[in-house]
Amino acid sequence: MKLDPSILARIQFAFTVSFHIIFPTMSIGLASFLAVIEALWLKTKKPVYLQIYKFWLSIFAMGFGIGVVTGIVLSFEFGLGFARFAQMAGPAIGPLIALEVLTAFFLEAGFLGIMLFGLHRVGPKLHFFATCMVAIGTLVSASWILSANSWMQTPAGVAIHDGHLTVVSWLHVLVNPSWLHRLPHMLTAAYLTASFMVAGVGAWYLLKGKHQQFARTTLGLGTAFAAVLIAGQVFIGDILYGTMLKHQPSKMQAAEGFWEKQSQSPAPYYWFIVPDQDHQRNRFELGIPYLGSIWLTHSLDGRVQGLKNTPRDLQPRMGMVFYAFRIMYGLAMVMFAVGVASLWLRFRGKLFSSRWFLWILAFMTPSGIIATLAGWYVAETGRQPWVIYGVLRTVDAVSPVPARALLSTLIAFVCVYGVFITAFLVFAVRIIRRGPGEAPPHAEASGSVKNAFRPYVLDNPERLVNGHITQRS
Amino acid sequence: MLNSNQLHRLGALAAALVGGLFFFAIIGVFGLRLAIAGLAVFVLGAVVVYVAFPTAGAES
Repeated sequence: MKLDPSILARIQFAFTVSFHIIFPTMSIGLASFLAVIEALWLKTKKPVYLQIYKFWLSIFAMGFGIGVVTGIVLSFEFGLGFARFAQMAGPAIGPLIALEVLTAFFLEAGFLGIMLFGLHRVGPKLHFFATCMVAIGTLVSASWILSANSWMQTPAGVAIHDGHLTVVSWLHVLVNPSWLHRLPHMLTAAYLTASFMVAGVGAWYLLKGKHQQFARTTLGLGTAFAAVLIAGQVFIGDILYGTMLKHQPSKMQAAEGFWEKQSQSPAPYYWFIVPDQDHQRNRFELGIPYLGSIWLTHSLDGRVQGLKNTPRDLQPRMGMVFYAFRIMYGLAMVMFAVGVASLWLRFRGKLFSSRWFLWILAFMTPSGIIATLAGWYVAETGRQPWVIYGVLRTVDAVSPVPARALLSTLIAFVCVYGVFITAFLVFAVRIIRRGPGEAPPHAEASGSVKNAFRPYVLDNPERLVNGHITQRS
Repeated sequence: MLNSNQLHRLGALAAALVGGLFFFAIIGVFGLRLAIAGLAVFVLGAVVVYVAFPTAGAES
């Protein structure tokens, strides 16, 4: 079997970037959540807020660490798998990525130390300042990366002569046509992710009858944030949809599942299709009549543009874009319904006692992560066959390296990342099962790496004295 | 006459319909102006419900 380097390079980048994006999404959302919780603690002095802070700080720290490590890998992959892309786009996106790294290392990582280890070592206001700096750092980091990625979606501010790219306006590179909409869309996705995570864990404790005050406070806050944020997210998403329809029509044509240049009137809204890219048709379609016209054209009989408006060699794969969009949009609708239900149950005083709702929240715990991943799949698969839209094709951006090198590194990434995700899930589940009451009062510098790998330390923090594990008396 | 349970079910149905209407408005089905207005009213309503019906420790 002959392996295609361009396919392997794409699989490798898709795998590593999909894995990576899970953790910054959690970190951005949780960092701001922690800042809000610490502000509430400083204002009210209620111990439950400190309990919530300490509990989520542990999970945030793990996610932050994995996010940083897996992010660095992506920079190296530009050279490993997409050297021609790096060579061409370097003048535009190189500085943006460098600024992201600077922000991450100097602002976030600097204050992260105080945030993690300084709760009882610095004053409460300085600690709160550190938490805010970490939260702001995650936002600034995200804005640089979103600027770089949005420039790949809607390139601007550059001139190309003989295949060489020159920046003519940094302002237009930074504030490119899609950045102003994609940045708030991504940040709101991160906040929604954190909201559903904290609400889901609170719901789980209530279902199990544990940690009542902690659970009620986190569930109450999580659902309140979620209700407001999801309304904002669908609004921003609709604005972004219009922007991408203008700048990347092929992406949105693929996302709606229509092939003909003009759909039938009225257009249905498809929820399930079996696309046949070779014959430019759907083998099977299942949708809701009229809804496509209403949602996409805002009229009862409007027609929707299909993918045949884009030349065949410039079309993305419809199946990937369509289903990624349906997962994202479907989850957004469920989140909106959950937000409305939470307001109704809060109004009726049944927010904590409706078990059906608690079960839904518990199942929705990872919904933000799944929706964010799906959204990124829409963005990246919908841009194909371009890596820089309209400028450089993905197939022309791949490094001239043997397929074996890409395959071996892909296997290595899968193995190493498998260890990462297993470790993260094992420790996150341990922290959640142990509960907030027994969480260590604050992260301790043990003085020995060995102790970090001993579950005993996590379970018995009181036994850790001056960096040594004491024996039971 | 409707009993309490039926009234609550009717209320839940009304809440679902109002929620659906807000969703359609916010995604721009009725135009950008109504989308902005719908978003503002929904967020304001959520904040009012949050402030007027505090939950911590409210239920047994």
